[in-house]
Amino acid sequence: MVLVDQVHKSFGPVHAVRGVSFELKPGQVAGLLGPNGAGKTTTIRMIAGFLLPDSGRVSIAGADTVSQPHAARVRLGYLPESTPLYEEMKVREYLGYRARLFGIPGLARPRAIAHALERCWLKDVASRRIGALSKGYKQRVGLAAALLHNPAVLVLDEPTNGLDPTQIRETRQLVRELATDRTMLICSHILPEVERLCDRVIIIAAGKVRADGNPAQLARDGVDGAVYQLQVRGMRPGDDERLGHMWRSIPYVVGALRTDKDRPGDLAEWTSWSVSGKHGAPDLREAIATAAVQNGVLIRELRSETNTLERVFLRLIDEIDDDADEGRDAA
Amino acid sequence: MRTALTIASRELGSYFRTPAGWVIVALYLFLAGVVFTLSVFMPGRPASLRDFFAVSGWLLLPVAPAISMRLIAEELRSGTIEPLMTSPVGSASLVLGKFAGACVFMLAMLAPTAAYVVVLYRTAEPAPDPGPIAAGYLCLALVGSLSLSIGTLASALTSNATLAFMMTLFGLLGLLFVPSAAPFAPAAIRPALMALAVTPRIGDFAKGVVDTAHVAFFLGASAWFLLLAVAAVEIRRWR
Repeated sequence: MVLVDQVHKSFGPVHAVRGVSFELKPGQVAGLLGPNGAGKTTTIRMIAGFLLPDSGRVSIAGADTVSQPHAARVRLGYLPESTPLYEEMKVREYLGYRARLFGIPGLARPRAIAHALERCWLKDVASRRIGALSKGYKQRVGLAAALLHNPAVLVLDEPTNGLDPTQIRETRQLVRELATDRTMLICSHILPEVERLCDRVIIIAAGKVRADGNPAQLARDGVDGAVYQLQVRGMRPGDDERLGHMWRSIPYVVGALRTDKDRPGDLAEWTSWSVSGKHGAPDLREAIATAAVQNGVLIRELRSETNTLERVFLRLIDEIDDDADEGRDAA
Repeated sequence: MRTALTIASRELGSYFRTPAGWVIVALYLFLAGVVFTLSVFMPGRPASLRDFFAVSGWLLLPVAPAISMRLIAEELRSGTIEPLMTSPVGSASLVLGKFAGACVFMLAMLAPTAAYVVVLYRTAEPAPDPGPIAAGYLCLALVGSLSLSIGTLASALTSNATLAFMMTLFGLLGLLFVPSAAPFAPAAIRPALMALAVTPRIGDFAKGVVDTAHVAFFLGASAWFLLLAVAAVEIRRWR
C-alpha cells in the first residue's frame, strides 16, 4: 500500500534520510519511531509528497509520488505536525474547501463533510471559527480534513503533540477507530503511544531504519535477551563465586552479576543477582529455579525483566551515539 | 483549473474574513474619495477622471504589495502550505488561484469608484468622454495585475509577509525608475531597458490611448512573474 524504496534526502550538507526502505501492507497500522531529528518528519513528508526524494522512490497504492503526484495525493490523507489550519475559517467552511480541493463532487460533498464531522466528534463545533477552538479540537479538524476523501492511506505526524492528557486519550481513541479500516502510518517520539496504537514499529535514527517489526516481538527479541532478577541465599558465606558459576552453567545464560556487591554475602543474608539470557533464548525462569533447587540455594524472588520497546529504543539510540562518537574520535 | 478557482475563492473570502482586507479597502476608498472631491469634482473643471486615475495609480504602489504580501508567505509561516501542497493541487494552480483571488479583491476594491463616474455623468455638462475613463480603468487593472504578480512572486520567496511587502514595493519602484536609469546604462542594453519602462505606457493610457502592445506588455510581464512564482513554489518540494 505504501512503498518506500531506498529513499535519500539531503538539506544542504545535512543528509537527513539515508536509504530508508519499508513497505506497508493494506490495513497495517505502523508507527514510525525515532528521536527528534532522526529523519521521521522528512520521511513522512516524502510519503505525503510535500518533499520529493533526492533518490529512491515512494509510491502510494501504486502511484509514484514523483511521476503521478495527483494520483498519489488523492489516495493519501495527511495530518502534518502541529496541524496547520486557516484559523479565520469556520470548521464546516474549511472542510468544504478541502473537499473541493480533493475534487469531491458537489452532490457528495455535504455527505462527506457530515461523515467526517461525525467521525471526528466535531458536530457541535461545525460552525465555530477554527481559531477559537482548543488544541484538541483543532487536531480533530485536521484529522477530519485528512479523512474527507476517504483515503486508503492515512499518515499522521505526531498526532498527540501538545495535547493535554484528556485530549491525548480522545485522539488515541479516534486514531484507533480510524485504524480499523485503512492503512496507517503514525509518526511519533512517544513510545507508549506507538506501542498502544500500532501493530508494527519502524524505528528510525540518524536517517536510517534501525529496527522494524511487531512491537511485542521487537521488545522480546530486542537487541539483548531477557534479564532475570533474583534474590537468593546460598549455603555458605562467600558463596558468590560458586553461585555465579552455577548461573553461568545454565544453558542460554550469558552473564550473571551480583547487584548488591557492596554488602558481604553470608549464610544469613539474601543476595541479589541479575542473570542475563542470550538474545532469542526461551524463558529461562524454570531453568534458573531448577538449578537453584538442585544446588540447595533458596530463592525468594525470581522475575524476568523482558525488554520493553523503550529499552530496545534507547539501546539502539545509544549505539548510534557511540558510533557517532567513535567516528568523531577517528576523525 | 478547478482547484485554482477553489483556492481563489478561499483567498478572496479570507480578505473579507480578516480586518486587514476591510482596512485596505477603506483606506483606498477614503483617499480616492478625497482626490475625487478636491481635484475632480470642482465647478469649472473639465469632466475628466484623469487626476483620480493618476492618484489611484500611485496609491497602488503601497496597496498592491499590501494585498499580495500574505498570499503565500502566510501559508509558509503558518505551515498551512503543507496540507495545501499535499492535496492534489499543482503548483501552477496554487499560484494562479492565489493571484486570481488577489486580483478579484483588487477589482472589488476599485468597483465602488464607479460611483464617481456616475456622479460625473449626472452633473457634468458636457458629459465626460467615455474613452479615457475606460482606458483609465483598464490601465489600473493592468498595472494592478502586474503589481500583484510581482507580489505573488515575492510572497512565494519568503515566509515573512513584511519582507514580501518590501520586496514588492522596491520591485515596483525599480520598474518605475527604469526609464530614469536607462541613460546611464551601457548603450547595448539601453533599448531593452526602455522597452521595460512602464511609465510611458501608463501615460498613453491616461491620454485615452489603448495600445494592444501595452496591454500585451502588462499581461506578458504578469505571466512571467507568475511563472517565476510557480518555480519558487515547486522548488520547495525539491530542496
